[in-house]
Amino acid sequence: MIVLQDVCKNYEDSAALADVSLSIARGEFAFLIGTNGAGKTTLLRVLLREESFDSGSVLVNGVDVASVRGAALTNFRRKIGMVFQDTRLLPNATVRENVGLPLRVRGHATRDIDAAVADVLERTVLADKAQRFPRQLSGGEQRKVALARAIIAKPEVLLCDEPTDSINPVHAREIVELLLDINSEGVTTLVATHDSEIVNDLRRRVIRMEGGQVLADEPVGVFSAG
Amino acid sequence: MQARLNALRYVLGTAAHGLWRNPTMTIGAVITTTVMLITLAAFLAINDTLNTMVTALGRKSNLIAYVRDDARPSRVTAIMRDLEQRPGVGEVVFVTKDDALQLFVERFTDQRDVLDILRTNPLPASVELRMDNPAVLPALADELRGMAETFESVVVPIDVVERLLSISNVSRVAGTVMVVALTAVTLFVIVNTIRIAVYARRQEIEVMKLVGATDWFVRGPFVIEGAVIGVVGATIAAVTLVVLYAQAAPQVTRIISFLPIAADAGFVRNLAVFTVLVGLVVGSVGSYFSVRRYLAV
Repeated sequence: MIVLQDVCKNYEDSAALADVSLSIARGEFAFLIGTNGAGKTTLLRVLLREESFDSGSVLVNGVDVASVRGAALTNFRRKIGMVFQDTRLLPNATVRENVGLPLRVRGHATRDIDAAVADVLERTVLADKAQRFPRQLSGGEQRKVALARAIIAKPEVLLCDEPTDSINPVHAREIVELLLDINSEGVTTLVATHDSEIVNDLRRRVIRMEGGQVLADEPVGVFSAG
Repeated sequence: MQARLNALRYVLGTAAHGLWRNPTMTIGAVITTTVMLITLAAFLAINDTLNTMVTALGRKSNLIAYVRDDARPSRVTAIMRDLEQRPGVGEVVFVTKDDALQLFVERFTDQRDVLDILRTNPLPASVELRMDNPAVLPALADELRGMAETFESVVVPIDVVERLLSISNVSRVAGTVMVVALTAVTLFVIVNTIRIAVYARRQEIEVMKLVGATDWFVRGPFVIEGAVIGVVGATIAAVTLVVLYAQAAPQVTRIISFLPIAADAGFVRNLAVFTVLVGLVVGSVGSYFSVRRYLAV
């Protein structure tokens, strides 16, 4: 469960988040839409505690994000999977190594990691790319690797920042189906996007942001609404 | 426990990979460490040699207390025993009247007539002190001068002692300042060299933190890499120093034969071990602090 209450985050000359309040139930799927600079990425970064916020409160699965530190922060992040907008794949690591990283940092044995990586690469249709480096992949494949890395440790919450941005429709469709599949397993899924086609097709909950504020929150929304 | 062992295995492997992946950076860091530690160790050696020289000169500074002919032997013996226990006093020697005469005869063979005229031995017995620490000489001389019933006079080469003390003090203070400054510069240079390597991998650090790595998991490889760079650089410095010392010390000793130089195997070994330890500590501690700022994700 994700709960934000009056969350404010200011950069030097602008408000990234302005009194944002919203709640996402455990296992729910929601889109976060809005133009560039609407505050979508900042909100996701706050939920991962990659970014601090100035006021308000943020609870993710009962954890107070503002005060989580040290080992508690490490454990907190281990329950969240994140697909970054710029993927943040390690350029000098292979697909297999990138995807296995979350399990590696948890101290899993290589044998177990290899098995889990093979499983998730199969699921993301990347099995034949295991030994490639990110620079040898297309944009869509890189997004899928980032998604595979986000889900390999079976997170409770999955945050995706523009997972289908600038990639071909085939990969975009694969990614969306994967997101739905993962969500059907009970993973709370929040997807920031400005891909109207996907939002309109799926007809899920849509949270519209603009200027750091939540303008609309519709249980079954479409991109063009509002 | 198994998870920790797996993590340790990964940390060690990543450290080895990190060293191997960027050989230019690794070699650069090792060379920097070597140069800085050779400078530090060479200065320590020079400083130690200076101190050894000053101490050796101090040992040549004697205090001579001339014993009254009517002084009680038991009193002289008691004073000598007491002096032997004093800090800074190296050796206490009693020179009898006969010994003094013998020395006079040996040194002044052309003035034997003087003794024939006197027919008696006019030279007093004396207590001679050879010092470990010439700094205590002036106070000791004053104390012995106060024992007028035992000693008729006390002779100290006070100007030589004062100059030696002055040199020794300057050498000690300057040496300490230079060692501290050089250690700080060494740490600074090594930390910055490692920081460049850490900076090149800052994205990797950030991603690892965001997917749930502990600080030690991220920091471990860098600390091990720093320790390896430090030890390798320091070992090269130590070997260079040992070889140079073995070549240079006999030459210097030959040129300045009257002054001993700290060239014994024990000193050089200790200096080499110290250099390697400094390399280990500076390398690992430097890495520890270099990574710290990137862990705040």
